[in-house]
Amino acid sequence: MNLQKTSRRDFIKTTGLAAAAIGFPTILPSSVRGDGQTPPPSKRIVMAGIGLGNMGGGDLGVFLDKPDVQYVAVCDVRKGVRNGAKDRVDQHYGNTDCKAYGDFREVLARDDIDAVHIATPDHWHALIVLEACRAGKDVFCQKPETLTLREGPLLVATAHRYGRVVSGGSQRVREDYMDIVTKCWHGKLGTIKSINVEVGPLSQLCNLPPKPCPEDMDWEMWLGPAPWAPYNPGRCDGNFSTSGNSWRSYSDYSGGGMTDWGAHHFGGATYAVDVRELQPKEVIYHAEGEHPHLEFIFPNGMIITHNQPGKANMEVTGTPGETIAPKEIPGYKAKGGITADFIHCVKTREKPFRDIELAINTMSVCHLGGIAYRLQKSLQWDAARCQFIGDDEANRLVDRARREPWQL
Amino acid sequence: MSDQAFEALNTYDWGVEPKVLAPIDEAVIKTRGDAAARAELEAHLAAELQSSAPRAAKDYACRQLRTIGTASSVPALAALLPDPDLSHMARYALERIPDPAASAALREQLPKVSGKLKIGIISSLGTRGEDLAAAPATGPFGFLHGAHHGGTVPLLRTLLTDSDPAVAKAAIHALGVVGTPAASQALASAQSTPGTQTAIAHATLACAEKLLAAGKKREAKADYERLLKNPPSKLIQSAADRGVQACG
Repeated sequence: MNLQKTSRRDFIKTTGLAAAAIGFPTILPSSVRGDGQTPPPSKRIVMAGIGLGNMGGGDLGVFLDKPDVQYVAVCDVRKGVRNGAKDRVDQHYGNTDCKAYGDFREVLARDDIDAVHIATPDHWHALIVLEACRAGKDVFCQKPETLTLREGPLLVATAHRYGRVVSGGSQRVREDYMDIVTKCWHGKLGTIKSINVEVGPLSQLCNLPPKPCPEDMDWEMWLGPAPWAPYNPGRCDGNFSTSGNSWRSYSDYSGGGMTDWGAHHFGGATYAVDVRELQPKEVIYHAEGEHPHLEFIFPNGMIITHNQPGKANMEVTGTPGETIAPKEIPGYKAKGGITADFIHCVKTREKPFRDIELAINTMSVCHLGGIAYRLQKSLQWDAARCQFIGDDEANRLVDRARREPWQL
Repeated sequence: MSDQAFEALNTYDWGVEPKVLAPIDEAVIKTRGDAAARAELEAHLAAELQSSAPRAAKDYACRQLRTIGTASSVPALAALLPDPDLSHMARYALERIPDPAASAALREQLPKVSGKLKIGIISSLGTRGEDLAAAPATGPFGFLHGAHHGGTVPLLRTLLTDSDPAVAKAAIHALGVVGTPAASQALASAQSTPGTQTAIAHATLACAEKLLAAGKKREAKADYERLLKNPPSKLIQSAADRGVQACG
């Protein structure tokens, strides 16, 4: 492929991740990329945002500030939110070019958009990521990237099928836990045996009473694939609570703290003990003691505990004093955090730090744990087949039927 | 079993605290391993679906039947499939009940509904795939293994030319999810129009991947090469190219 004659958009849309697979990144030439200077709009990564509440609004600001991004569209089911986002983008560029949409499908249908960032409530994440990949877009999806176990391999397969760069969105994995990660990877704690994570609670059924739905809220679209329920502001509020009156609290939309903060903490834990490329083969449910707790057993023998009595969050058990050779710690491929890592990978077609395959491995820990707690039993997991071994009851919880007309 | 909890369920409506149903939640766990108690619990929940209980109560019953439902609950759940308010929650349970009776019920109701409800049933049938000839007493969840025989693919095939384009596209997509040789053949026979060409291509790619994963390289390669004859987009062309390479 002659990069000089191939348009940037063609390159992004048709080059898979194969270039990275052969051992070195394929770099866009500076005539397209623009070394350190603000590229002209025609040379920037054209982006749109889907879901622009608390996290999405924050992500919008981060992407908007990148000189190599041209932000062209915003999408939210709340008219006031999307119009406010549009105004913010327009103000940034000094024009009125940004388009505001209420339906993400209209965003994905645009040929001029290269990439989208997604920060809808969790029950929408997988479906929109899949549609975005099928539409040829690269994706930055906020954590937690999945609501069910079945969504994970579908996301990975679809991203690979269409050669898309898909990054999960936990900035904390790399930025909050580097102290313990460094100690582990540099051998300061000897041979690592286990790490503990404290996170929770699980989400619960929501049965809030009906309230009048604001005119600017498209309630059908907010619910999307989730079961129908009457509008109530507490059901859909995007505050960060996991103990009520926020969608993060409720099982139709979220796994609760187990996935919301679990995506961060388990992400950090799997990073620290170097099992990001694995999923647990077993989760052991401990009912004894004041509170149930879990052990996740990985195929290489590593153990991650959850809420283990007497252990703090991210507390590592190792063999300090034992001499262990340091290993190079994987990190972002560009300076500027996880979003810069994503943009860099969009250009070079490398896999990002929280590549979707690694993201869903982390999410598998969260979901396996949630199912073990809900069923109050130990489970064995076959990651390759995405099913529990010998447990029909648990297998029923691997996925959930989506409300028509939405298909995964 | 808590009669009080089921009395509470009879009047459970939006705005009632879910904790009134906690005894039923607990019973789902406690009846594990007690076939008689589990059957009694299931029967109570299925009966709720046929009662005059509020929608929220039936919604809750469907959620629990997702976890404990068997062939016994299928008729009560299937009866809700034409109900615009409860069709989805009926599928919420049916889609996850391993017994082939659930697939049979979905197939039976499919011709009786239209529009979105039809798309919903198509989606659930696609997810379930084809059932095993006889559901194993123990072992992995059967429908995750894909085709052995069954009526889902022939039924989806009849919908490829449905007068409702959304239904036709849903059937196309579902065949990609099923991903069996029969599904591949159905997609190959599907009439490609400007409105369906891309959907058929996406489903064919998904199907081919599953065939390749199942060791059916020849069939997968045929799918990819068929796409390469007239790919609807560069994206599809690149995906099919990679697919051919993966076939070796």
